[in-house]
Amino acid sequence: MNHPWNDLLRQVQGYIYPNEIEIHWGMLVVVYPYLTGLVAGAFILASLVEVFNVREVHAVYRLSLLTALAFLLIAPLPLLLHLGRPERSYEIFLTPNLSSAMAMFGFIYAWYLMVVLLLEIWFTYRKDLITWARAERFPMRWVHRALALFSNDLSERALRFDRKAVKVITVIGIPSAFLLHGYVGFIFGSIKANPWWSSVLIPIVFLFSAIVSGIALVLLLYMLITPRRGEKIDMACLDKIASFLFYAVLVDFSLELLDFIHRLYESEESIKILSDLVMNKLFISLVVIQVLLGMIVPLGVMVSIKLFHFNEELRKLLYFLSAILIQVGIFATRWNVVVGGQMFSKSFRGLTTYKMEMTGVEGLFVSLALLIAPFVVLAFLLWILPPWEKKLAVVFSSGSQAVEPRGDIPA
Amino acid sequence: MANGLRGLPDSFLRVLVVFLVLIVAVIVIGGALPTEFKDHSRHVQATIAREAALPIRFAGSTECGTCHDEARLKQIGYHRNLSCETCHGAAKAHTENPVEVKPAAPRKRESCATCHHFDPSRPTGFAQINPVMHFPRQACISCHDPHQAQPPSVPEECSACHAEIARTKAVSPHALLECTECHTVPAEHKVAPRITRASIPTERGFCGKCHDKDTATLQPPKIDINTHGEKYLCWQCHYPHMPEVR
Repeated sequence: MNHPWNDLLRQVQGYIYPNEIEIHWGMLVVVYPYLTGLVAGAFILASLVEVFNVREVHAVYRLSLLTALAFLLIAPLPLLLHLGRPERSYEIFLTPNLSSAMAMFGFIYAWYLMVVLLLEIWFTYRKDLITWARAERFPMRWVHRALALFSNDLSERALRFDRKAVKVITVIGIPSAFLLHGYVGFIFGSIKANPWWSSVLIPIVFLFSAIVSGIALVLLLYMLITPRRGEKIDMACLDKIASFLFYAVLVDFSLELLDFIHRLYESEESIKILSDLVMNKLFISLVVIQVLLGMIVPLGVMVSIKLFHFNEELRKLLYFLSAILIQVGIFATRWNVVVGGQMFSKSFRGLTTYKMEMTGVEGLFVSLALLIAPFVVLAFLLWILPPWEKKLAVVFSSGSQAVEPRGDIPA
Repeated sequence: MANGLRGLPDSFLRVLVVFLVLIVAVIVIGGALPTEFKDHSRHVQATIAREAALPIRFAGSTECGTCHDEARLKQIGYHRNLSCETCHGAAKAHTENPVEVKPAAPRKRESCATCHHFDPSRPTGFAQINPVMHFPRQACISCHDPHQAQPPSVPEECSACHAEIARTKAVSPHALLECTECHTVPAEHKVAPRITRASIPTERGFCGKCHDKDTATLQPPKIDINTHGEKYLCWQCHYPHMPEVR
């Protein structure tokens, strides 16, 4: 009787159905909404510059776009690994199933990648790509020329069109970013058999937690990268990002509180098992990590920064710590939704437990690799498309004299 | 068309070309893929081959019955829906080499307690014990034969099986009433409880014997049995075992 389930069975509380002992959506499905959320959040921060003209955060505009791209490129990997057979994913596009929310994700993803992010990055960088290519030698010269699609037009009219295009794409991009992450919440929110997930608020809560995590990530990246480049952190920019982060956390916190109170007030038949779930299985990850460390503590810290005028160094330290706590908190949010939703029985009479694998496709190490991978992609993107404007100016002034502008291709 | 495009900047046209190439590529690749590529039966065959290559570990209950009388005996007992291998473990190797490979025979109390330790969420009537109170030093199989899973003696109290009801009734206004006051229990119910059932009151007049306003008893709450909820049986609204029966 040495069945591998015996370990799990011993930890089952109350009555559960046999097919509920093992949790099938594990760590990989936790990583997936976390990564997608960072994409949406980073893009929303970038859109503040373009659409809402928040001048202070201009320093992180390109960094946010590249961060969004790096994370978007990795975001579908957890799903492909979880489902297996990645070669079949192409069929999602060839045989569209309009009535399946999961199948439509392929199109939302393709739209967001091709029409929003790549296009916005291309129009943002086109001028720089041309000027870099003119000043560089093989092979980077050809890389940048190819990335610019061999375009050479630096006329005022063309540059004006670039700026206009970026603005239009950002306006399209905001609802698209909402769609991208709202969709992830929608998948969970529309599972009506599961009272922990089934709520119209879930897509909105997902969206705001996405914005929170994305802004916090760009803030962390900016604080880590800028000193490494030997430059000074722009405090006006940092204060402004932190300010937006504060408001986003506040809205996210209010929405989650609303969801919580609403569930308590409604007191549907599932309320007993859900409170058991929260108080037993999810106490550390929900009450302690998500709510206390991930929300209340950072909110308190940021309120105190606004109330008392701390000096720059202390502010930097507090922002950094708050952003890290927020990241951990949002990861815990994803964990609590995905794993928490599978821990209680549909009979509402028992709880199971989740045993995470270490090795193997669904294991901890693969998940860690997936969490690190976007940073590797980002490092590559930062190398090939450096977002720092000062460096551009140097390249531009030294290169533009040396190389004659080439003629336009006939339109 | 050409005139319309001429007004647009060069950059826009380049992006447009890339997008058109991509869209056409997806359509062409989709159309040009050989049918074998889209043939799902290949995936199905690969999956079947993969699953078929897995070693077979379980023999199945039917196989057990070819040699063991207990397996046939079990078919008429309470454990008839349990496969032999639920308790004895995977036994394919045993069917291939019955002399040398012996399947596990669980003797410990914990094995039975997996299903039979008391848990309030188990259905009423399901045999449950508290392993600490219930003959703690004896092996379960010294009194109970798992292949003919029956209590060693016929239970004397209703609470032996209906423990949850008995506990709630004990603190209800009906605590002093015997179960048999309202339920007629045929003798066979104790031996074959799911085949012969105990009765439940089917007439309103039955509750009215104590609760109608015209009866002489003093204690219970009184109602006019003719006008009070006349379409329903009393227990459809007032569950008589509950403390809050009113």
